Amino acid sequence: MAIMMPEADSAVLARRGEIVAALRAIVPGEGVIDSAAEMLPYESDGLMAYRQPPMVVVLPETTAQVSQVLKYCHQQGIKVVPRGSGTSLSGGALPLADGVLLGLGKFKRIREIDFDNRVVVTEPGVTNLAISQAVAHAGFYYAPDPSSQIACSIGGNVAENSGGVHCLKYGMTTNNVLGCELVLMNGEVLRIGGKCTENAGYDLMGLITGSEGLLGVVTEVTVRILQKPETARALMVGFAEVEAAGECVARIIGAGIIPGGMEMMDKPAIHAAEAFVHAGYPLDVEALLIIELDGPGVEVDELISRVETIANGCGSTTCRISTSEAERNLFWAGRKAAFPAVGRISPDYLCMDGTIPRGALPKALARIRELSEKYQLGCANVFHAGDGNLHPLILYDANKPGEMERAEAFGADILRCCVELGGVLTGEHGVGIEKRDLMPDMFTEIDLNQQQRVKCAFDSQGLLNPGKVFPTLHRCAELGRMHVHAGKLAFPDLPRF
Amino acid sequence: MVDALKVRNAADVEEVVRAAIASEQPLEVIGHGSKRGIGQVTATNAVLDLSALSAVVAYEPNELIITAQAGAPLGDLLSLIDSKSQQFAFDPMDTGPLLGTTGRGTLGGMIAAGLAGSRRVRAGGVRDHLLGAHAVSGFGESFKTGGKVVKNVTGYDLCKLLAGSWGTLAVMTEATLKVMPRPEAERTLVLRGLDDPRANLAMTAALGSPFDVSGAAHLPASSLRPEVEGLGAVGSPREAVTVVRLEGITASAVHRAGSLAKLLAPFGAAEVIADDASAAIWSAVRDVLPFAADGQLGAWTVWRIVCPPVSGGALGQALARQTGGEVIYDWGGGLIWAALPPTADGSAGLVRKLAGAAGGHATLLRAFDEVRQAVDVFPPQPSGVAALEERVRVSFDPKAVLNRGRLRRSVAS
Repeated sequence: MAIMMPEADSAVLARRGEIVAALRAIVPGEGVIDSAAEMLPYESDGLMAYRQPPMVVVLPETTAQVSQVLKYCHQQGIKVVPRGSGTSLSGGALPLADGVLLGLGKFKRIREIDFDNRVVVTEPGVTNLAISQAVAHAGFYYAPDPSSQIACSIGGNVAENSGGVHCLKYGMTTNNVLGCELVLMNGEVLRIGGKCTENAGYDLMGLITGSEGLLGVVTEVTVRILQKPETARALMVGFAEVEAAGECVARIIGAGIIPGGMEMMDKPAIHAAEAFVHAGYPLDVEALLIIELDGPGVEVDELISRVETIANGCGSTTCRISTSEAERNLFWAGRKAAFPAVGRISPDYLCMDGTIPRGALPKALARIRELSEKYQLGCANVFHAGDGNLHPLILYDANKPGEMERAEAFGADILRCCVELGGVLTGEHGVGIEKRDLMPDMFTEIDLNQQQRVKCAFDSQGLLNPGKVFPTLHRCAELGRMHVHAGKLAFPDLPRF
Repeated sequence: MVDALKVRNAADVEEVVRAAIASEQPLEVIGHGSKRGIGQVTATNAVLDLSALSAVVAYEPNELIITAQAGAPLGDLLSLIDSKSQQFAFDPMDTGPLLGTTGRGTLGGMIAAGLAGSRRVRAGGVRDHLLGAHAVSGFGESFKTGGKVVKNVTGYDLCKLLAGSWGTLAVMTEATLKVMPRPEAERTLVLRGLDDPRANLAMTAALGSPFDVSGAAHLPASSLRPEVEGLGAVGSPREAVTVVRLEGITASAVHRAGSLAKLLAPFGAAEVIADDASAAIWSAVRDVLPFAADGQLGAWTVWRIVCPPVSGGALGQALARQTGGEVIYDWGGGLIWAALPPTADGSAGLVRKLAGAAGGHATLLRAFDEVRQAVDVFPPQPSGVAALEERVRVSFDPKAVLNRGRLRRSVAS
């Protein structure tokens, strides 16, 4: 394993039997799993290159149980890793050898649907898609739609601040959650926000969203729901050059159009997708854009025509416009299947997730081509073009010695390039363990210390999901210490009035 | 005498904060000072003035972002992005009319106050559009959070904490915000004569429709509320009006206005007001012009109450009846502006009892100093949350040198 996790505490491991018994007293029956065979499904999440069996798995069913488990672990100095559906692509739910894996899978009930206030109150183990399905009969849906939405849980979405293809127009998780019930590491149960449009005090809900399970365990979530747009249509536009496709994206945004979705694929991705799903993608283009407009029919028709004009003006070589729901879905089929399609042409692939300013796309792709040469590994690119979120898929074969390490080095270089171009390490998959050691490429020690001080406000002993997000762990006392500089009382050298 | 320290760059801010730590003297952090009248009454010997940090660092319309220093005049930024047909979709409130101050203040002040306008129901608030920031913490250290791209989950989103923190966590020196295209057209539907609960139902129907409503407000009939510019198009304050806004390309706004009018037919026949006249209505609602400092209700106490949207009508009606006050609803009932006849405690007990029972919370936005000294200006939190908030505050500013006591009466040093 290339990434070092915190050293296992042998004193805790030596007490395993006692700890399991104590947890069984809190969560009876089959809610505590300690046999190696039964813990197997929990030893990894969506970042499957990394595996680690936990010390024990606990699957509580009530907030009171979650609170008691955390309180016990807090008192005993035992680490805890929370887990939703285990679809994280950054290793956010990777267990620790000396840690309790706290699975929220049994929190599967939608507690309340309130159409008048346009919110759903749900337990965290409910899947993203199940929320939309529960309100579909009234024409509503939950907007963020990560591609794992059939499987991923809403609690995991809160932890990762999940996005999706529609987030340029409809926002990420953070823009669509209003409140939660949060259990702190010491077992304290807090209610943050609720059905109000805006919360009182500091925006703790905004802080918790995307905190990767390091601040608390969410046992209930209140999400906003929206009415489905009346209709949606898509264009599929091919370009002979990546630059032209990038220019087209810029001009669409510049014209004041915010599409419901705007996705780009490069040639290797187009070919892989087409071979897999036969969506009718042109194979002689360097870049393909799928642009979806949604809203009332009259608006969609007008915007489709404007986008078509812009695409023509950017030298598109092919342009197809969906005339039916079946055709629109076909356009998307290839894009949505891009990851498995790439999986067919390569034994393994690594999915990266940097964000860049949209305008830097040609530079980023050129750099990726150079790196592909350097590392002698193929790379297919899919790109949420609307919001600058790039997903290079690095192709490798884990059975060939050294290829995985090369792929990881290639990926790290791509992410550093994203930061150099003015972007960030991760747009929607999270830092987890995968990008943890790259954090100093984007943040200074002072930046990271401030973030860790905030962590201390929630978890003073650093027991909740340690080893994720932050490359270096500091004790809270050390972080909180104030280094008083030789203070000059009379503020020198500043203009006064 | 109050020391006014006009900083020139982030290094100056660090120096001033470090000196404040060493001397244990709290700083009042200001931009243009347009919102100094909001919050608990505080006393400091030193003012950290950010108004010289006024540059636009980068404006990239095609990237939908603008980066500017915290002291940049908000009015200038709004003009700049308007020149490219863009806007801050959260529609920041101008507190000037309500507080009797002039100018729109600075970018930093706007973020720190976090007061979004009527479009919040559709586009989110300030917190949803702040992408990144550079700031100096109460440790006297410059840090950055977030980034300059619209999609980013790298590290904790400390931007969310800065928005609406009233300068109590860190001194922002630079911020990057998302900008969005300005809609080509807008239409406002006007319904007349609805009482508050019925108007609440009409707004709920509109916001729960597929017509992408971007504003829903209700002004009850009043014999006290003055006539104000901007609301002329909807008629006299003696008659209740409910207004619902649709924005987008012209064909779409017109189409949706027609469809929505049909949906709202059970509430009466809707008139349609277009474009400039419509925009004037919404800025009057956003800035709560009927309660303006220079108007008839200028001496009244003003509360800003946020509650679950469908609870608004009953809550506002009860509050108005029990106090003899006036209310205006925005956010489909989820935001209530209440102007109450002045009392020693601003009727805080009653306001908070009613708001709390409805699942909401209330902020005292305008009151005389004596009132703001006597009551909690910002909503008191349950003890567990209050303790967590205090720990979060301490994680940024352990010596409470930044706007000490502005948010909470209990914060000493």
